[in-house]
Amino acid sequence: MLVAKNLSKSYKEIKALTNINLTIQKGELYGMLGPNGAGKTTTISILSSLLKPDEGEIFYEEKSLYQNLAECKKLIGVVPQEIALYEDLTASENLNFWGTMYGIKGKQLQNKCDELLEFLGLSDRKNHKVKTYSGGMKRRINIAAALLHDPKIVFMDEPTVGIDPQSRNLIFEVIEELHSRGLTMIYTTHYMEEAERLCDRIGIIDEGRIIAEGSLDELKTNSSIKEEIHLKYSNPNKNGLNQLIDRYKGQLLVNKDHIILSSSQANAELPELIHLCSQSELLLDKIDIRSLSLESIFLELTGKSLRD
Amino acid sequence: MFTIAIKDIKQYFKDKTAVFLSLLLPIALITIFALMYGGIGKSEKSRPVNLLFTDQDKTDLSQEVFSTLDAEEGLKLESKTYQEAETLIKKGKRTAVLVLYKGFQDSVEAGKKIPMELFYDEAKEIEMGLLQQALWSNLFGITMKKGIKGKVNTWIKDKNPDLSDSELEDIQAQVAEQFDGFNNSEEQSEIEENSELPMTALVGEKKNRNLGLVQAIAGIAIMMLLFSVSASGASLLKEKEDGTFRRLLIAPISPSGILYGKMLSTLFMAVLQLTVMFLYSWLALGLDIFINLPALILMILCAAIACSSFGIFMASVCKSRKQVESLSTLIILVISAIGGSMMPLFFMPAIMKNWR
Repeated sequence: MLVAKNLSKSYKEIKALTNINLTIQKGELYGMLGPNGAGKTTTISILSSLLKPDEGEIFYEEKSLYQNLAECKKLIGVVPQEIALYEDLTASENLNFWGTMYGIKGKQLQNKCDELLEFLGLSDRKNHKVKTYSGGMKRRINIAAALLHDPKIVFMDEPTVGIDPQSRNLIFEVIEELHSRGLTMIYTTHYMEEAERLCDRIGIIDEGRIIAEGSLDELKTNSSIKEEIHLKYSNPNKNGLNQLIDRYKGQLLVNKDHIILSSSQANAELPELIHLCSQSELLLDKIDIRSLSLESIFLELTGKSLRD
Repeated sequence: MFTIAIKDIKQYFKDKTAVFLSLLLPIALITIFALMYGGIGKSEKSRPVNLLFTDQDKTDLSQEVFSTLDAEEGLKLESKTYQEAETLIKKGKRTAVLVLYKGFQDSVEAGKKIPMELFYDEAKEIEMGLLQQALWSNLFGITMKKGIKGKVNTWIKDKNPDLSDSELEDIQAQVAEQFDGFNNSEEQSEIEENSELPMTALVGEKKNRNLGLVQAIAGIAIMMLLFSVSASGASLLKEKEDGTFRRLLIAPISPSGILYGKMLSTLFMAVLQLTVMFLYSWLALGLDIFINLPALILMILCAAIACSSFGIFMASVCKSRKQVESLSTLIILVISAIGGSMMPLFFMPAIMKNWR
């Protein structure tokens, strides 16, 4: 469906992308995982023809994007990170406008709008101005606007940013439904659980490079880390935590009330960890050994937390 | 292109208060400036300007000038000697004196430089500007005709030196008869229609037109329009800020199509605003907008296109809406001030007029 070869892009002195290669199969949901500033949005912008790469080629259904721009644009749908809608127009008016921009008219457009509003659960609010919608509803209309022209591939650039868990779940359901219908999607996120839940394949991007790629199982198999030790503590002792971070550089994730240690042999490392916690005067409430998560894989590959 | 324009127009009309204010504000300003410059209403006559008149020539032609100017609606003439007139002006009791020096008639008839001068109170330049408008058209109406007649006589004499005095007098009499006849004969209207109509019509219109009102309406309309279109031109930047511009660029439409769509909607709003302003000026202020309707429509269209282009230009060179607001305010106020939209050109010092 999509082949990108050796994409590179620089903004003056800053190298935004370096030799990005991607092959997306038809019907695949590909997750692009990386921290803020990793190059996800730049990649999407280049793939969707918004930006031109300094180097590299892009093919949609074996046709060069830049030699068949108008044709390829009709194959692409983009759900931008921001709510790219006209807030003083109604949902219906917004969808009508974006549909017309893709050459859909009359009854066909009306039917498509109604179908999508129904699919996204917004039929009863279609004649209300978008500015009166909740964040989640706006996100859903944002998705609908990208689907009006029946694209063959949809780019979703962090479509769940800034919304409540319930709305996020609704969007996940929409994406899963679209996936089950065979729509090809590229989904960028910096939420591990989203990538784990939704994506067939995941590309981990950092500092403009894809540093690992594969299904979740493939990524786990290829990782030298096999397990995670989760320690929940009751007293957030800053000095104590700093001692642990120094000792387990690049292996430890520190959260508000717990730490996660990525380990290749959890049982062997556990006694030393408990001893260090005791020395650091961290009062442990709970100790748990879990199977490897994407977050630990990312930490291992990049040496930093995804939310850094 | 049309889809973008229709969407923009729809967005414009969604905010009814903003639409109302965008029309009300220029109307309010036009009304205020019309009051300041020219008075309101067809029937209301502006106060005549007192003009002193010193006739040192004492000929038929100088008397004709006096009576013609005195008959002018905007002028009230008083005959004084130069010394009396100078005293009155210096005391600030009168604005100006028109002096026709000795040899006025002879010079006019001979087609030579006309010995006349206008002295005015330096402190009353604004009043002088209004006075000039009424004065020049009348003075030139009288002197031009006589001047042509004189020049023709001189030309005949130069080209035909062998003509006897009686023949020359005969020709001169016939030429003079033609010029006089041009004024008095019953065929005048026919001759005007066939050859002199555009000039005659132009003079007639000017006599009836309240120039102060025209200045207030046309000037303020254009100035306010520039403000309105720079705001709607900034909608392009709002699209950038909101992210919809990226979505438009991804859609199968060329960037020029987006730009033309924006321009089309701005053009529509500009035409609407100008039309409303001129209709209001006609209905409420008594401005006769039907003197030359095709010209008015053409002017509205041209002004709307020019102003819309300005709005889009501002959106293109500025990086944010704040920049558009600041820069466009500066540019509009400067070009309105020096271009005559904000105030009549005769308000300005000579250096400004010459610079333009």
